[in-house]
Amino acid sequence: MCDSITLYGVKKVYDSRNGPVHAIGPADLSIRKGEFVSFLGPSGCGKSTLVLMVAGLLPPTEGEIRIDGVVVNEPRTDVGIVFQTPVLVDWRSVLGNVLLQVELRGLDPAQYRAHAVELLESVGLGEFLKQRPYELSGGMQQRTAFCRALLHDPPIVLMDEPLGALDAMTRTRLRDDLEKLWLGSPKSVLFVTHDISEAVQLSDRVVVITPRPGRVEREITVDLPHPRDFDVRQSPEFLGYVKDISDIFMQYGVI
Amino acid sequence: MDTKRTGKRNTAPTEHSGAPRAVDHGTTAAFFLASFLLWEVIVRIFHVPRYIIAPPSAVMTQMAARFTDIYKHTLATSLETFVGFGIAVLVGVPLAMATAFSRFLRQTFYPLAVTLEMVPKIAFAPIFVIWLGFGFGSKMVVVLLVCFFPILINGVFGFTSLPTELQYLSRSTGAGAIRAFVKIRLPYALPQLFVGFKGAAVNATIGATIAEWIGGNAGLGYFISMSTGLFRMDIAIAAIIVLTALGLLLYGIVLWVETKMIPWHVSQRARINATGSA
Amino acid sequence: MAAPIPFDTERYSQIGGIFAKLGARVKASRTFLLATVVFVVGWELVVYLFEIPSYLLPSPSNIAVEFYQNFTIIWRSTLVTAYETFAGFFFALALGIPFSLGVAFYRPLRNTIYPATVALQLVPKIALAPLMITWFGFGLTSKILIVFLLCFFPILLNGILGFSSLGTELTYFLTSTGARSKTGFLKVRMPAALPQLFVGIKWAAINATVGATTGEWVGGDAGLGYLIKFTSGDLRINFAFAAIVTLSLLGLFLFYLVVLVERQLIPWHVSQRSTSGMV
Repeated sequence: MCDSITLYGVKKVYDSRNGPVHAIGPADLSIRKGEFVSFLGPSGCGKSTLVLMVAGLLPPTEGEIRIDGVVVNEPRTDVGIVFQTPVLVDWRSVLGNVLLQVELRGLDPAQYRAHAVELLESVGLGEFLKQRPYELSGGMQQRTAFCRALLHDPPIVLMDEPLGALDAMTRTRLRDDLEKLWLGSPKSVLFVTHDISEAVQLSDRVVVITPRPGRVEREITVDLPHPRDFDVRQSPEFLGYVKDISDIFMQYGVI
Repeated sequence: MDTKRTGKRNTAPTEHSGAPRAVDHGTTAAFFLASFLLWEVIVRIFHVPRYIIAPPSAVMTQMAARFTDIYKHTLATSLETFVGFGIAVLVGVPLAMATAFSRFLRQTFYPLAVTLEMVPKIAFAPIFVIWLGFGFGSKMVVVLLVCFFPILINGVFGFTSLPTELQYLSRSTGAGAIRAFVKIRLPYALPQLFVGFKGAAVNATIGATIAEWIGGNAGLGYFISMSTGLFRMDIAIAAIIVLTALGLLLYGIVLWVETKMIPWHVSQRARINATGSA
Repeated sequence: MAAPIPFDTERYSQIGGIFAKLGARVKASRTFLLATVVFVVGWELVVYLFEIPSYLLPSPSNIAVEFYQNFTIIWRSTLVTAYETFAGFFFALALGIPFSLGVAFYRPLRNTIYPATVALQLVPKIALAPLMITWFGFGLTSKILIVFLLCFFPILLNGILGFSSLGTELTYFLTSTGARSKTGFLKVRMPAALPQLFVGIKWAAINATVGATTGEWVGGDAGLGYLIKFTSGDLRINFAFAAIVTLSLLGLFLFYLVVLVERQLIPWHVSQRSTSGMV
């Protein structure tokens, strides 16, 4: 397996009225093709910034990011993005929102229709294709957003706290949905979260980021079998990972 | 619901959306300077007749030369504007409260008021001039009329849109009706009330001006229409500038009171940020 | 009634919200119709019982009779005012929307036109009415221009706001698809801007009749505004009231025309949903 995404000394400093704010970095990291990597850290540690820089949506202040050896210096279009809020448009149906992904790329939506329906069915939205986003619950909206991010079969998926705005029960179910989607077609996933057990359940590797300015504190490879169902999540190994990571944040006084 | 949306939109960062706030001040200043120069130069070079348009220099000259006249008319218009606005506040706010708390008024008076808000109220100006004469009274009443509706409608909107959770909270404290009103409902309604006051402030000078056109012998509106009638564009433009300043003064006063009374509101926080970055 | 001061788009949108909310309520509650009937009957009774002379306050029946007797002249005046109103309103639409697009998406225009319009927005445009009459005469042109001035700015400013305030995350999504600017505009930016644009168009619809009426007062010899001024000057208050009611109906007609188009174009928007939810 070769490296798909590589970060070399990536650093981001924002200008603000009270002088420059050091958001994150310098960070060195490489992510293999098909790997699920979580960025785990408290709010405001710059982990979302990192994801936006990988997508080419924000330029790094220092350092460079390469995807398959090519320097990222403009927005990448071979990615799928999921945000904390669903960011669906009210004037389209659920199916229409998913198809928006390919329509904006100038592709023929008719050719992707079957795939879109298949994706929506796999997350239990098969009966809601014609509904408008505002007629759905928050969890269903976010599932629609997942499908939209996957429709064009991107090699890289970026998720910025996609479960952060949902209630606890919905989160648990969506984690399983996400794991299933990823196992169905493994992609390189950068997953931003502040939930320790969520990171351990989903990731091949957890990148622990310290409070502002964000720095990579440790990288932990999670060596557990997929799917990490309820039994796996109760196993001593799983809980061991959770405890190790919790200890790091306790040292920093975050929890 | 729309209100919430707007609030959210204002607080959301828009650095990548090309918001018009991202204006280059240098270019802007140069553009304005160039426009005024161009105006002056075109009028002079092409000998544009003075009855069509006056150059900025002539307008400024008239501003000084006619100071006494302009001052007299400004006083008249100010009186109509400020008194009309003041009475509209004094009548509009209590009526808005009454409407908000009376189910009967809310179902009868309120829809009528909303329909009237969409009607050109200014059309009543000639009637008021007939009823109350050419003097101060008729103008003041026209100002009152055009200020009243924004205040009433926004007031009712403000007083009725207290979130259910806050209502429960204030009830659970056992606070009496008056204390609950003063501590919770009134502060909650203030931002929306100020939306109405600002709308009324904009309407006030316009109402006064139009009323002076219908019938009157004093005020800036009268002075403007008299000057254009005599083809003295330089005087007319000078008077329009003063009228604009008068409108801005009233609006500025309302803004100032607003920043003093609701410094905690999103709109104020945004404004502080906006001026801070400028 | 008149175009507000710049940066006060908050007022536009909130009033817009109020319109929507109330549109819903008005539609939902039959009490509104009842209230109107009670209002009219009450008015009639007050005038009758207190024997208020009709030159002070005419009764609804007086106004109705007057309307019937002078229908021809009222109708002719309505045509004139309607022509001024609609022409000015549509010119404002035809120029205001392209201009707001230009300011939102083209930097040189944003640096020049936008500050200029903000500065002009400070001037009460109605104060320019006498200038328009002097420049363009007593005919239709001057009135159309006054209506245009009053309608143009709300459309322009709300258009700019709408077209330039796409949410950050939606913008990120749009960028990540690499969509051509035309595709992105048609499928995302334009639909997202429509609700705010309609707030401006509704304000313009309210301002339009005000502009036409005032224009006719400042200088004119036809139209409902002229008729109101002329008849009230003759102390024919009944007649004046009949004309005022007609003018109001004209204003409401234009406003609800806009509301109707809005309902067709953005049935998905919050304001429209609450309406359909209530019915």
